[in-house]
Amino acid sequence: MTFLEVVFDNYFYLGSITIFLIGFHTLLTHSNLIKKVIGMNIMETAIFLFIVSIGYIRDRHPPIVVEGEPHMMINPLPSALVLTGIVVGVSLTAFALSLIVKLYKYYGTVDIDEIMEIRSRES
Amino acid sequence: MIRKSVALVILAILGLLVMGGLAELPLPAERMSESVTSRHILSEGVSDTGAVNLVTAVLFDYRGFDTLGEATVIFAAAAGVVLLFFRHDLPTSRLGLSSLAKRSIMVLAPFVFVTGLYIVMFGHVTPGGGFQGGVVWATLTILLCIVYGTAFEWRFINTRTKTLLESLGAIAFILLGLVGIYRGDFFLSNIAAGFRAGVPGELTSGGAIPLLNLAIGLKVAAGLALIFYNMVKKDVG
Repeated sequence: MTFLEVVFDNYFYLGSITIFLIGFHTLLTHSNLIKKVIGMNIMETAIFLFIVSIGYIRDRHPPIVVEGEPHMMINPLPSALVLTGIVVGVSLTAFALSLIVKLYKYYGTVDIDEIMEIRSRES
Repeated sequence: MIRKSVALVILAILGLLVMGGLAELPLPAERMSESVTSRHILSEGVSDTGAVNLVTAVLFDYRGFDTLGEATVIFAAAAGVVLLFFRHDLPTSRLGLSSLAKRSIMVLAPFVFVTGLYIVMFGHVTPGGGFQGGVVWATLTILLCIVYGTAFEWRFINTRTKTLLESLGAIAFILLGLVGIYRGDFFLSNIAAGFRAGVPGELTSGGAIPLLNLAIGLKVAAGLALIFYNMVKKDVG
């Protein structure tokens, strides 16, 4: 199997890597703190897509057992782990945003470059 | 400018590295046939836990302790947000939105509540569970706050109620876990600790899983509502 065939069969991996890189780009290039949080959330989404697609098998049912149904279900473990990830992501976003609110109250801006400038002027 | 070019170089290197790793990955179907844990859960999950929804079975039975940690993460986030805004006070707006919106939300609210309750209580039979239903309940209090203004929230569903509900959920979860130890098994053990497995697919099946779902639902709803109300607070000083 060539590299291209593997990529074509696992196109959701490719998609999640692309989304991850978009999020990472947002995180690196923007100096607005809220945009950084948005970039972090996009990266989280990419990771969730990656983990869910690890467990997904084409033409199989969700892991809910119905009587008389043959065992043709997807892997339930990654789905359960993603739920943990989502909860941690929500908590992290909430705490980051409230820290940004505090920073805005103190410095009057959410731009990290301006905050650095104000800090260097103060010290 | 220099930051952008450095970022692009870093991204290109990272992308190439990850793509290189991608070629080594086995396909999901192959991985599944290799994984002993997944195959055990699929074939024995229902008889082990009594829950038809195997994701819920993993969350509240096989990895119940992990779920307790997960709930603690929400608790920690809520505690952190409350700590950051403890000097602030709710701006008491009595106005809210128009009376049309108020009437509509009162028609809508019971349905939202029942939807949340359904998602929580049937978490072991259909897709859903404590986390998802808890978020629906949190949405309900947020909607009431937006439509009726914050004075309504201050009077009827204040912080003390939410703290009480969150603590209640956590204590119920830990007590249900301790039942396992009391019955001579492990912390959070379900069927082995004497909870009734019931008929798979019915509401009363799954042993302690519906009760654990309810505890987690209360905890998540109260935690997310606490986070929201603390973020809409205003600085008093």
